[in-house]
Order: sequence, then structure tokens, then C-alpha cells
Amino acid sequence: MLETILLKRRPGSRKEHDQVVVACCQECTVGCELQAYIKDERIVDIQGDERHPISRGRLCARGIAFVQGLTAPERITLPGTRDRLSGPFEAFDNWEKGIDLLAERLRRVKDMHGAESLVIGCDPEAGLDFHLGAQRFARLWGTPHVFHPLQEAMDADLPADLRHPTMESTQWIRSGCLVLIEADLAVTHPVAFQRVLEAQRHGARIIAIDSRFTATLSKADLAVQIKPNKGNDLGLALTKMLLEEHCIDKPTAETKFNDFQGWMNTFAKLPMGNLTASVGLGADKISILARAMGRQQPATLITAKRLAFLPHYGIWSTMARVTGWHQKAGGGWYPLESGVPRLDPTIGLEEIEPAVKLQNTIAFPNYSSPSKQKYLDGLEIKALIGSGDCLGDFLAPLHNGINDLDLAVYFGSFPNRTRRAAHMVFPAALWAERDCLGFTNEGAVQWSPRIVKPGDACRSGLGFWMRLAQRFGWEDYFPWKKVNGLADQKAFFQWLFDKNPQTAGLQMDRIAQTEELVYWDREADRSTRSEPKLHAAPETVATPLSGEDPTAYPLDFQATRSATRTGDTGRWWPWARELEDEAGIRIHPRVAQALKIENGQTILVASENETIEGPAAVSRMVPPRLVWSLQRMQADHVLVYRKGQAPEEARDRLKAIEL
Amino acid sequence: MTIKSKLKRNTLMIDASSCIGCHACMTACKLENDLPVGPRPIAAIQAGPLKTDSGLTAQYWPSACYHCDQPACVLACPTGAMQKREDGLVFSDLQLCIGCQTCAVACPFGHPLLNPATGKIAKCDGCLQRVDAGLSPACVLVCPTGALDHGSAQHVVQQRRMQEAVKTTKTFTPTQC
Repeated sequence: MLETILLKRRPGSRKEHDQVVVACCQECTVGCELQAYIKDERIVDIQGDERHPISRGRLCARGIAFVQGLTAPERITLPGTRDRLSGPFEAFDNWEKGIDLLAERLRRVKDMHGAESLVIGCDPEAGLDFHLGAQRFARLWGTPHVFHPLQEAMDADLPADLRHPTMESTQWIRSGCLVLIEADLAVTHPVAFQRVLEAQRHGARIIAIDSRFTATLSKADLAVQIKPNKGNDLGLALTKMLLEEHCIDKPTAETKFNDFQGWMNTFAKLPMGNLTASVGLGADKISILARAMGRQQPATLITAKRLAFLPHYGIWSTMARVTGWHQKAGGGWYPLESGVPRLDPTIGLEEIEPAVKLQNTIAFPNYSSPSKQKYLDGLEIKALIGSGDCLGDFLAPLHNGINDLDLAVYFGSFPNRTRRAAHMVFPAALWAERDCLGFTNEGAVQWSPRIVKPGDACRSGLGFWMRLAQRFGWEDYFPWKKVNGLADQKAFFQWLFDKNPQTAGLQMDRIAQTEELVYWDREADRSTRSEPKLHAAPETVATPLSGEDPTAYPLDFQATRSATRTGDTGRWWPWARELEDEAGIRIHPRVAQALKIENGQTILVASENETIEGPAAVSRMVPPRLVWSLQRMQADHVLVYRKGQAPEEARDRLKAIEL
Repeated sequence: MTIKSKLKRNTLMIDASSCIGCHACMTACKLENDLPVGPRPIAAIQAGPLKTDSGLTAQYWPSACYHCDQPACVLACPTGAMQKREDGLVFSDLQLCIGCQTCAVACPFGHPLLNPATGKIAKCDGCLQRVDAGLSPACVLVCPTGALDHGSAQHVVQQRRMQEAVKTTKTFTPTQC
């Protein structure tokens, strides 16, 4: 393949250093490789690795700014405990004493309320080893409640071809059309977005669909704004339109799929008016989109992870198959954040009683999902072990009942809502301070060695579970220990690889040494899945997820990720804080004018259950109907008003304008 | 200065159409120059979204010192700290800088800014230490979309022409037909 980036690059560092560590950035799933220049055990420079086939020397802001988190003065570096949530933490002399007390308190909770009263929240920042170790510990403990925000699609019983990209992003250059659905790749995966621009330069048409006018939409040939979280409904509408516009080769499809006619009939019955109302886009615009996709084949459908937790996610796989795009170079379906194989860390524990089945298929990451609250309502949760800011994020519904918990434990690096609600705290090593294994979005397996030593008593997630398991006599089930007593990540992942069919044959030493990309076996994974079926259209698409009153709360609310920070940890990078005000609330100029809100003025965003506050950021980036913030809220519908303004007045003023 | 010597001067080329406002250039610059919160020798400025007849539009623009031919900052500097090198780079000699910010007032683009940690001026110096060591500027190397390029004016123009030529060639490759 011809290289279009020919410009001469002269890489390297001018900084004085005594060591260079080549590591893989863990801030997102692109898998960029970087060279960290170390002097006296401190990082003095970060440069991209020119030889790496994915990033070719490029890095994004997060891949550099993470350095600030390592030395941030706010870092938690010692374990601690407290009796009252309002009191200060009393630090332990060493980690082992903290684990002793944690084991004792957990035992007490188990004796009083049973094993299933424990919930474990695994934030991606704590690492894959924390999540896998948590599942193994939970199986031994007897609780099914282990949650990870990116987990659902991994474990759900989906058709074989639903999870994996049908081709690599290097093939986008051959696409006729790239369709990005609620995927703000320019912000979340900037290095991968370079391939989108590359494809565009080669004649591919870029169609970007999102609720906001994002950086991705600004680069698109066709930019379309829809209602938030309605991407899958748009997928149904596009499929219906592709069928009506004869963009699908029906005779061929009839021979390939069972009851193709029956499947088509479901779309014929689905009323278009229902879809256009749900998506917030007229039939004429949907028709333009479908025709553009049909004209410039093959199309690649790039979907955001959050769509995986909403109804009708299967439509994307179906669309790619019935159109035949998935069989052409440069065509198919590319779901983001889907490169991790289904690794089962509970292997070898089959005989352990009670035989609980991990329930991590509940849609926790969908912040306002009614199924989440319903799921929690039926449980008696008395203990929580949470990493990252799980209580401020995907376990937010638990936060309301935090006072009912007998024990809340925070395994993390920085102060946050989870720490504020915790009785005990254990300091976590950041990814640059521990050996880690990463899976790229396309299924490449990458080993990233520790760049610098962690401070004081910071430990890896696996180290945390290993020590805790030891207190209950389960050390034989966590045997991955180095001579110095720390967790042996390499040995753990090699054991895991050997036990799971998709990763059998992978050798950690080879992965760590080779400069080529090593992939896990997607074919082995497919063989364990059910026969793919076509996703049929429903009789009608669902109305808003939560039961809020749309007249009392007339605006839509959305919170997504930022360009400068991956998660909670990024809040402690001063350079990131400087660039984006975390508290800033984006509203449309029309709404600001109606409510007499000036840019920067303090405003309140109220839902039925909670209110957030912050400075107004007046921008056309959001459509009039939408309020967007980096601050999370468990709401789909909200009301905005100035501080000091009566909510009723704001409601009346909003009624008078066209939203 | 002759045209020949001008063509050999260090040049930062900005292709704003490729900029996505990801701030990678800014963080790389901060790390390279050990800068605190505040001064940003290079920053991606977002214009928009603005309403046009055909919908919304937004543009990102990486903004850094232009290293002017006749820099006002150099003329204004009372201590002679702000200087222009033969290769075109305008920089502040921090040994001589007294942090009076006269250069900041003189600059029509507002590029020189005070570094609150040192009390001296922080401004894009074209990564002169890196350039002298034979390396590309930090911002150029990290830019994920290739919106930044660096070299002599001749080199930059030539490379851009080659890129365009390759693009045109690819348009007619069999895979596109």
C-alpha cells in the first residue's frame, strides 16, 4: 500500500535520560505505542514510536498528559480507614494491615447478610487485571454482582459476527463511504481518526451522525444531528429505506438468509412516522442518507459503544450482512471498544460452592436505564468494592443508598465521589506504574511493561485481589506471585490465555518481544457463538427510556467523554483541566436567549431526581433541544434555568420557543 | 536576506483542514518545555459551529508564533532577550528576559505569554533546541492527523506537492474504480 504521509519525520528526545521504556498507551483502545524517556525514575519526555504499525509515531493529548497524573499531589498513595463517612482517613502503616481489616469486615458482612450482599464495580482505569481478578474472587466469595461499564456486549449471547470488526481500520481506505454513528472518533480516538481522513482523501464519503455537532461532524461530507441515544433507531430507519430504495440485492439475500421475505415484511410494517419521531429526523433526510450509502458502496458502519446497551443494536450487523458490505474490502461493521475476547477467569473453580453465575450482563453503563434501577431494587446490597469513580459513573444508582452500606471500599488513585462514600481506601497503581495487557479495538494483543515504579503503597488490581484471597485461604486460586510478593501479571495472563480457546496458543513472551501485531483467534470465538440471525424490525420503536415528564423537563440531556481526559483520572491532569471546564454546561444560543442566560453565567440543570450546577457554555454544538455536560446525571430529560430564576418561569419561556 | 536563504529557513506548515482540535500539539509542547497551566505556545483554536446556508460548520486552527520577518516583539524587547535567528526562528533568551511582557503587548497576534512558574516569557521558539539536535518539533511529531509539518520552506512545499501527487495517483488505482 502506498503511504500518503511522506513528510520526513525526525523523531527522538533532546532530554537527558538514563532509560527508555517502550510501552502501549492504555488511555483508549487504539493501542498506540510510546517511548517514555526516564531520568532518575521520573518521566522527562514522551514520544510516539515511529515503528509501530498502528500509531506510526502519533499520540493524542491523553497519551502525553497522563504523565501529570503520576506525580499529581492529590494522588492517594496509602491505604486508610475511617469509622464515619464524614471523618478523615486514618492511614495504615502498611498494605497488609489494611487488607487484614478489610477481610475481617467483609467476613462480618457475609455472616450477617450473605455472600450476595457484595457488589464489585470495575472501572476500566483499574485495569483488565482488576476486572478479571474481581470475577475470580467473586466466584470464590459467592456473589454474582461484578460490573464493568464495557462488559455487556462482551457477555451477552449475541450472534457470532456481532462483536468483531469485519475488517481492520487500515481497510477504510478502500471504503466507498464511512458512516460514523454516535462515534465521535476525532475526540475519543484521534489517532484512529487519521484513517478516516485518509479514506476521505481517497474518495470515501464521510457521513457522521450524532446528537451534537462534534469535531467528527465538522470533518464529515454529510453531517446529521439526531436525538441522543437514538442511533439504533436510525439504523432501523436506514435499513427500511435501503430496502425501499432497492439498495439491497434481494435475490442474493433470499438465497443466503432463512425467511428473508419475512424479515423484510417486518420493516414494511414498521411505520416510518414512528421512526422519524424517535430519531428526530425527517424521512427526506433519512432517504438522503440511505441513498448516499447505497450509491457509494461498500459502506463501513462505525458505531459507538453506548449503542451496545440500547435496543436494536443487532441492526448494524444485519445491515452490513444483508447489503453484502461485510464481504467486501473496506465495507462492513466496525463496533468501537469491542476488541477484548471473552476471557473466563473462573476456570478451575467449577466445584466451588455456591455455584453462582456472574450477572455482569445487566446494562449498568446506560446511565438512566430503568432495568438498572429495577435490578438494584430487588437486592440487599451491604458491601461495595469499587474502583475508579464507579459511584459517580456506572454504579451511580447505588450512590443514593450509600448510607445503607455496611462497608464501602475504594480502590483508586484520586479523590472522587467513590472515595467520599468509602469507609476504606486502597491506593491503585496507574497504568504506567504496572505491567499491563491491552487489547486494541481490532483484537491485537499488546503487552505494556511498567514505565515507572508506583509510589508508596500503590498496587495493581490483581495484587489487591491476590492479597485479599490469601486472607480467606484461597491463595492456591491466585498463585501468580513474583518472588518479591507482587502480582505476576505475565504469569496470570499466560494462564488465562492457555485456558481460553480464543487465546490458546498466544505466548506472552512473544507478544512482549515482537514488533508485529499479534491477534487473538476470532474464529475460535465465533465457533462458540450461536448462528447469526437477522435483526427484525419491531412493531414500534420505544419511547424515551425513563418515565420522566417531557413537559416539565422539556430538554434532552447527554453526558459523554471529553477530548482531553479518558476518565476520572484525567480530572487530575492540570493541562486537561485548563482546556475544558469540567463543570461547563453546553446550551444552544436560542435557549440561552430565551432564558436570558449569558455565557459563563451559573446555571442549574434539574431533572426529577437531581440537579447539577455549572457555568453556561453557549454553543451551537448542541441543538436547541439538547443540554450537554461532562458531569454525569441519571436523567434523559431536564430543565435549565439561571441561578436565582424560578423553574416555572424558565419552563414558560421554553414553551414559547421552537426547540 | 536572499531568496535562497529564505527558502532554507525553518518553517512550520499548518494544514488547518486536517486539524481536529485534539490538543495533542499543546500537551506535547507543554511536556517539551515543562510549562505549567497558563501559557500555550501552540493551541488549537475552535471557530464555530457557525450557521451557514448548508447547515453548521466548524473549523480548528492550530495557532503558534509566526516567526515574523520583521518581528515587533524583537524590536520592542528592552533587554534584547527576544531575538531572531538566521534560520528564521524567533525566541526569547531566558537569561536576559525580565518578564516585562513588552513583547506580548507589541505582538499583533498575542503570542508571547508569561510563564507564571518562572516569571519569564513562554513563546513558541520553533523547538530550536530540538531542531539544533536534528529533531522535528514536538508538536509536529505527535499530531495524529498530520496537520503540522516542519522543515525548510522548500522542503515543506515539495513534500506537500508530493502528497497531492500521490493522492491523485491513488484516485486512479484499480481499487477505486
